[in-house]
Amino acid sequence: MLIPIIGALIGILIGWRLPFEIPVNLVKYTAIAILAALDAIMGGIRAQLGQKFLFSKFISSFFANTALAALLCYLGDLMGVDIYIGAVVAFSIRLFQNLSLIREELFDRFWWWRSGRSDKDM
Amino acid sequence: MKIKVRSWQWGIGLVAAVLGLLIVLQLRTELKIRAKLPTRQVNELAQILKNQQMRLAKYESEIATLRRQVSDYDRDREILRLKMAAGLTPLEGPGIRITLSDSEKKLKEYEDPVFYIVHYDQLELLINELWAAGAEAIAVNNYRLGSTTGFSCAGTTILVDTRRLAPPYIIEAIGDPANLKNALLMPGGFVEQQILSFNLKFIIETVDRLWLPAYKGSISFEHATAASEEGGN
Repeated sequence: MLIPIIGALIGILIGWRLPFEIPVNLVKYTAIAILAALDAIMGGIRAQLGQKFLFSKFISSFFANTALAALLCYLGDLMGVDIYIGAVVAFSIRLFQNLSLIREELFDRFWWWRSGRSDKDM
Repeated sequence: MKIKVRSWQWGIGLVAAVLGLLIVLQLRTELKIRAKLPTRQVNELAQILKNQQMRLAKYESEIATLRRQVSDYDRDREILRLKMAAGLTPLEGPGIRITLSDSEKKLKEYEDPVFYIVHYDQLELLINELWAAGAEAIAVNNYRLGSTTGFSCAGTTILVDTRRLAPPYIIEAIGDPANLKNALLMPGGFVEQQILSFNLKFIIETVDRLWLPAYKGSISFEHATAASEEGGN
């Protein structure tokens, strides 16, 4: 669990120190990108908990989701379609689903651990 | 198994780094925007802008109406002032009321009654005295004197403009009562010269609130036309 936290801290530090900022009119798309990234991370954790984690799949899904979400929203704005809203809704739903699944899984594990059974591979 | 553990931790670590970077960048920009703009949606801002524009338009039309009202008011006031000056509007104010009538003295055989009645020139003198003493408006027998009013006599009656006057002549003048009174009563003044020596009946009273009607005569300019201030040929 240490490496993700260190990674996040490093990212925050870099972001804090970076000399440039996101242009104001692109903030909307980076927000969607962040949502997509959060979704990807939750998906990854869930996959890990379900023993289905694949490094390449995770990394590719993260970057593709993030970039595609932002790009699609931009395209939608160009065409006058609010794909932005669709992306927010879709990512949010998945995010919450993943969160609840992760919570369930962790709860189950904790329960099993309390009942005396050893943890599988954490 | 070991590689798998590492791989997922590294992966999530990498992704967490990117996510942290993105979030911090986003926050920095967002905070900057919020420092500049109130945290409101574009639609809300547009609504506010629209409302303000509508209010602006409303205020502008209000200003226009008020300006018009002000100019109307100025014009009205100017007209009123001119009408007051020309005697075309009833006026009220403090002043004096003079009652002047023919002498009631029993005349002796040799005395000529002509000296014991009020003549138009006496009335004229009186009116002139009043103007000179600062009277602002004068009416004779409830007939207001205008800017072209003149006195004349036709036989035994006095005419003011074309209106016949009959004694007693009641002259009402708006002005400072003390001034008007003193102007008439001063030694060698109108009363001493014209009234006392002919024994005419004469009453001066101070009135707090006189009401004078508007000038009723005709105002027509057949020969005169308005000219510029400079004049000349």
